[in-house]
Amino acid sequence: MGHSVKKEPAAPRPKTRAVGLVAEFHDPHKLVDACDHARQAGYKKMDAYSPFPVHGIDPAIGIRRTRLPFFVLAVGLTGCLFALAMQYYTNKVDESPIFPGYRFLISGKPDFSLPANIPVTFEVIVLSSAFATFFGMWALNRLPRFANPLHRLPRFRRVTNDLFFLMIENDDPKFDAKRTRQQMEEWGADAVEVCEEDLTDQQLPKVIRMAGVVLLFFLLLPPALVFRAAGQTSRLPRLHVVPDMDWQDKVKTQTVSPNLGSEDDVDYLYSDLRAMRKPLPGTFARGDLILNTEFSTGIKVGGENGPVDSGTGNPVAGDTPQLKPDNSGEVFASTAASQQEGQTTPSTTASNQDPQTQDTQPPTAANNANQADGGAVAVVEPDWVDKFPEGVEVSLATLNRGQARFEIYCSVCHGYDGNGGGLVNQRALALNVTGKAAWTAAKSLHDPTVKVQPVGRIFDTISNGRGTMGPYHSQIPVADRWAITMYVKALQETGIQPETPVVSQ
Amino acid sequence: MHASRPAKVTSPVYSLSHDYVRLVPLGLIVGAAGVGLSLAMGLPSGGFRRFSFAYLTSYCFALSICLGCLFFILSQHLTRAGWSVTVRRIAEIFAMCLIPMGLLSLPIVLPTLWGSESVFHWTTSADWAGSTRIQAIKDAYLNSGFFGIRVVLYFVIWGAMAWYFFGRSLTQDRTGDKMISRGMQRNSTWMMIIFAATLVFAAFDFEMSLAPLWFSTMFPVYFFAGAVMSAMATITLTALLLQNSGRITDEITVEHYHDLAKLMFAFVFFWGYISFSQFMLIWYANLPEETVWFKHRMYDEYGWGRLSLILLFGHLLIPFLGLMARTVRRSKPYLFFAAIYLLVMHWVDHFWIVMPEYSQADHSFTFSWLIDVPCAIGMAGFLVAFFALIAGNRSLVPLKDPRLGECLNFKNGA
Repeated sequence: MGHSVKKEPAAPRPKTRAVGLVAEFHDPHKLVDACDHARQAGYKKMDAYSPFPVHGIDPAIGIRRTRLPFFVLAVGLTGCLFALAMQYYTNKVDESPIFPGYRFLISGKPDFSLPANIPVTFEVIVLSSAFATFFGMWALNRLPRFANPLHRLPRFRRVTNDLFFLMIENDDPKFDAKRTRQQMEEWGADAVEVCEEDLTDQQLPKVIRMAGVVLLFFLLLPPALVFRAAGQTSRLPRLHVVPDMDWQDKVKTQTVSPNLGSEDDVDYLYSDLRAMRKPLPGTFARGDLILNTEFSTGIKVGGENGPVDSGTGNPVAGDTPQLKPDNSGEVFASTAASQQEGQTTPSTTASNQDPQTQDTQPPTAANNANQADGGAVAVVEPDWVDKFPEGVEVSLATLNRGQARFEIYCSVCHGYDGNGGGLVNQRALALNVTGKAAWTAAKSLHDPTVKVQPVGRIFDTISNGRGTMGPYHSQIPVADRWAITMYVKALQETGIQPETPVVSQ
Repeated sequence: MHASRPAKVTSPVYSLSHDYVRLVPLGLIVGAAGVGLSLAMGLPSGGFRRFSFAYLTSYCFALSICLGCLFFILSQHLTRAGWSVTVRRIAEIFAMCLIPMGLLSLPIVLPTLWGSESVFHWTTSADWAGSTRIQAIKDAYLNSGFFGIRVVLYFVIWGAMAWYFFGRSLTQDRTGDKMISRGMQRNSTWMMIIFAATLVFAAFDFEMSLAPLWFSTMFPVYFFAGAVMSAMATITLTALLLQNSGRITDEITVEHYHDLAKLMFAFVFFWGYISFSQFMLIWYANLPEETVWFKHRMYDEYGWGRLSLILLFGHLLIPFLGLMARTVRRSKPYLFFAAIYLLVMHWVDHFWIVMPEYSQADHSFTFSWLIDVPCAIGMAGFLVAFFALIAGNRSLVPLKDPRLGECLNFKNGA
């Protein structure tokens, strides 16, 4: 310890502190015996140092079993609770004003389901337990520390070679410098030395302190930049971290096919510049094939203004149902509309965007609505079926199905009892007042003009929409539309008491 | 502290069958009475089929214990383990029980060979799959003849392995030839592969084919995890009883119990890990042909939901926490209780696998104190009788194993 004293001759306060007494042994057995004596003498704060593991030293020095397992168990259980709470919070809670969770309904699955959360919980338990073990071991061993005072003793260096040491610390309640030294010599120590700690050893070197300050400054930069950018607009394009995910090398529907050749030598994927092929004539996508019957249109087959064959524009012969695609809406076509069709080219984007209908150009409900609104063409009502057509089973089961569908699709505007009191309608009418919306009120199904409508007409309204009501043919299957029709009829019969449905044919 | 115990076995050797208690006749009487009572009570309540299911539950329980012991021997030779020498003989004797266990499989195998539907309903030629195509594919494996051949093959292979290890170990007791250990180590390698293959298909045949349309590649691992756990419990329990009776004195120390308990703990958790993996994948994928098996067991509408919860807590969480601490792993009274508890849970596990398939109509909860429990007690009686018969007046600790000294002086780290 001499040289440290030399360095600072006029120290105002002591720079060193005695830590303990170190006894030196030349034989491992003597070390074990000394440990035994020291333990029996009542010393607690002591440790033995040896170049190799010495058998029997643990009980001799009185090392208690480590408390680490209990610490790990506590942290592991905390990790378990934390993982479960975290998953519950992120999946189930979204009312919180700050840090709301992500309560998304995905395929009707429950927000929080324990089996799905077990793997994450398990991993968090394992991770937190491993950290607790590793860093708990550090803490119990009083790590990290910058220097161990024992390394100041020149003789102690031989502990890695051929010497054995026992240190009894000053902090031990039984420690007494004079008596302990005497005891150590009695136990057969070959030498006894005072171990002193240089207090400056426990301070960080200046270079590291400076480096830490600089690092801290750089760590503050990202949050500072984020804070500065908050609430500002930028003309720079968005940063694309994964460009090949944002711009995928693929061809989308209804786009011009990519130019595979050079600019001079034009070479498209398909010669008609389409990015995808049109379906073969006479083929239908799955689910698109619908027989042009009373069941699918609600119009009397063989009636005066029966359904038209979209291919020729001619009325369909009564007993020979034709195949016709359903994807542009269940086409009922008034004769007037189909005559109009022959003369003008409809520019409705809906039909233009649909390659399957481009060849046949059937009149759509949108066309009809436009033309009706324009008042240029007098719409002749087709012969609506006034009884449920073949294929619709008039039964309580169908009615119940219709009620369920009605409450899903229709009640949001028309209300549960059909008087137009749906929440969307109420809200939109309220917005009308403040000029924030231009909404046509949903019609009451108990309106006298609606009550007299035949079932085919109601079916058609559901399928293709009327006025501002949109078409539902793509959302609701044909059979369900008839079921809804049946329920609407039942509602009309019963006024506004849907609990006592009456089936009316 | 520095003195080491000499590698010499001092336990007295006398026949379990005659000198101590007459374990062989006692076990056989308990076995016959238990199984007989089960048959007598089962026939009026559900015919031979009711008895068959009770029998299959308890049979698979006993079979899996013996298979777990065979695995223990193989794994100890495979790893050249020194610590387990003194408890290995117990495992060897239980593995030898696989030979009489082959005979006990007859009440299941014979009706199946005759095409009876008493256990497996794939034996019938009628349309059990609901689809002729699936049935044609499954019939190639699930048919009575092939089933019989497989069962014979399993027991020939297991019996031969058990016979080999037991015989060589006894030979070493006399000669002290160290090369015998080396031979067993070498042969344990390929035998482990054969063991794994046969165990997989045995698990398919005896338990998974009860629901012939259901399939899970995880199922044999599940069977295996329970088997090894119960084998550890059985070895611990047997060692405790034998030491208590004085048949083994001080060759098995608290250190060995500590290690057995560690393995028990490990396989308790492995069982939970595997059963959750099997459940999780099926639950998440939500394919009807896979979920149906858990549907019958998960929900209380079939009456099995509560038993599933009992397994979750009783077979996994409670023993997991209960066997965690070092002090309890080193406590003989506690381990005695834990081993019995785990064996009961293991039986419940097999009951949970087998019984929901009993009522094919509604998969309703089926349990009877007078049919299922006597059968389990009877099977345990048979196992005790076989153990005593095979043990005879042989030493229950290997006498001249080259690692005996290491084993006797073995200490767990602090």
